[in-house]
Amino acid sequence: MRAAPAATATLPVIEAQGLEKVYRMEGGFEVRALRGLELEVARGEFLAIMGPSGSGKSTLLQILGCLDVPTGGSYRLAGQEVARMSEDELARVRNQRIGFVFQAYNLLARATALRNVALPLMYRGVKTRERSERALAALERVGLADRLSHRPNELSGGQRQRVAIARALVTEPDIVLADEPTGNLDSRTGAEILELFDELHAEGRTILMVTHEADVAQHSERIVHIRDGVVESSEIVERARAEGA
Amino acid sequence: MGMLAENLRSALEALAGNRLRSVLTLLGVMIGVFAVTTTISLGAIATAGITSQLQDFGNQALFITPNEDNPRSTPFTDADIDALARLPVSILRQRNVRGVARAGSEEVPLTVNGLTANAPEVDRSIELARGRYFSDEEDRRAAPVMVLSADAKEALFPDVANPVGRQVVVTVGSSRTFYTVIGVKAPLTGAFSFAASASADVPLQTLYLNYPSVTRGEYPFLPVTVGLERDLGDIEAQVDAILTRRRGADTFRIQTIEGALSLFDTITTILQAVLGGIGAISLVVGGIGILNIMLVSVTERTREIGLRKALGAKRGTILQQFLIEAVVLTLAGGVVGLLASIGMLYLVVALVPFLDRVVLSPFTVLLGLFVSVATGVLFGVWPASRAARLSPIEALRYE
Repeated sequence: MRAAPAATATLPVIEAQGLEKVYRMEGGFEVRALRGLELEVARGEFLAIMGPSGSGKSTLLQILGCLDVPTGGSYRLAGQEVARMSEDELARVRNQRIGFVFQAYNLLARATALRNVALPLMYRGVKTRERSERALAALERVGLADRLSHRPNELSGGQRQRVAIARALVTEPDIVLADEPTGNLDSRTGAEILELFDELHAEGRTILMVTHEADVAQHSERIVHIRDGVVESSEIVERARAEGA
Repeated sequence: MGMLAENLRSALEALAGNRLRSVLTLLGVMIGVFAVTTTISLGAIATAGITSQLQDFGNQALFITPNEDNPRSTPFTDADIDALARLPVSILRQRNVRGVARAGSEEVPLTVNGLTANAPEVDRSIELARGRYFSDEEDRRAAPVMVLSADAKEALFPDVANPVGRQVVVTVGSSRTFYTVIGVKAPLTGAFSFAASASADVPLQTLYLNYPSVTRGEYPFLPVTVGLERDLGDIEAQVDAILTRRRGADTFRIQTIEGALSLFDTITTILQAVLGGIGAISLVVGGIGILNIMLVSVTERTREIGLRKALGAKRGTILQQFLIEAVVLTLAGGVVGLLASIGMLYLVVALVPFLDRVVLSPFTVLLGLFVSVATGVLFGVWPASRAARLSPIEALRYE
């Protein structure tokens, strides 16, 4: 699944060309959420996506996350065309290539931290023992090695989001897709989570983060602004990181 | 395997998380499985009870009566009995009259049976509590002696421990006769207790002598006993052939003792029908309960399902998860229903005298479990497929 580093280093991990998404509403009229959007993300890049509501930001996230398919255009994820895939094929791609971090954490309330983190590995068919070992390693990575058997309601918001990040990392995905990951957190905890993302980025992970907060977006290397279903502008973030450090 | 175990685990957690709701939901299936398994086992237990009673009885029996619906039908004759005697059977020559008996001041209704002295050998239900049965010699000389049934003894001699040697006056029509009590029968037990009545056995010749209106050599019915080692159906066919040849078709009826016990059969059948009906209705209602609660559960857990799909769960995986949940629910109901049913059967057997043991076939247990699993699958498949069709986008929606 993972190709030789030399080959992939040069290939963009995300290539979206002419992405179209048309929703057919009741009454026959159509909403064009994406209108030929172009986006390329290099491997190892930390990208922030910003845009007002109704801009097509959510639709783009759904398509990039392989939760939905575009009605037109091409989307290559790690070199693989996914725009015309069936539902079960998409499920496999999501499982193997994408790690999700949601605003509301989306943990299973009745499962322990360890089981929550191991869940994507179960859907991949990894054996129980290996699942636990890898989940444990992921939890150690986010600094929660001492909270393995805690359930979400026994954890703080920041800890819950760390569990969710561990879950996103456990499959070694090509991209981590974070949707407003600090939206439910106070600013101090949010800063800690962003620090964790910075670290993950430093380790070479590809991160796409959707946010509406400019200071959160400043943690990325590049900010893409979406408006009316297309990329309106793209800015490189240069000095913010140096200032923050 | 890992996935199945995990799905089973989440199903148990989800049900445990809504304990009251789960218990209420499985009530319907519980009652349904209870009714179905109880019904089947009850039939088997009743049959076993009757069979063992018959075996206690020590003989198989046929009961031949004229066909009341056929005007050409006549009572049986000595010649009929002689013809049947070629078969390996014993036939009791028996006539009876109804009258009124008095020992003290009380008059009680009494059936007087005229029998030959071999009656106790032929009819194994005859057992003596006191005294003796009459002899061939007493029959030949038409001795005025009688053997009372337990009920007759209670009616005529309620305060006398041993009435042997006492006198009884019997009035039949205009004739009054004095009899000496020589024996008292033991109460009828088990399956035959329903046939208990106030009756007295007297020698057949005594009956003929005292009641001239009773035609000699004519018998309104023939009790036939057959050894247990014989095939009753085979004997029945031969009896039928002989009597048809001698008397003509449709002039008689042959009943088996099992037929005489058909009262129990009827009660059991009615009970089975009622319970079976309750079972079927409960299962459908219970199944709809499952359907309803599973739909609610799917709606409540839209986000969870969306998340699982976002993390890579395929349709089939989600379908399996929710089907397992429904089946765990109905299976739990089924097991509780089955246990309740077994308890009920022990209670019934303890309370009903002629049922002597609980018969619980593995088939019944498996059927009960199968029915509960089938209910879960049948009524769980629609909610589960709704869950499986949900979009993973649901996980991204904020509440």
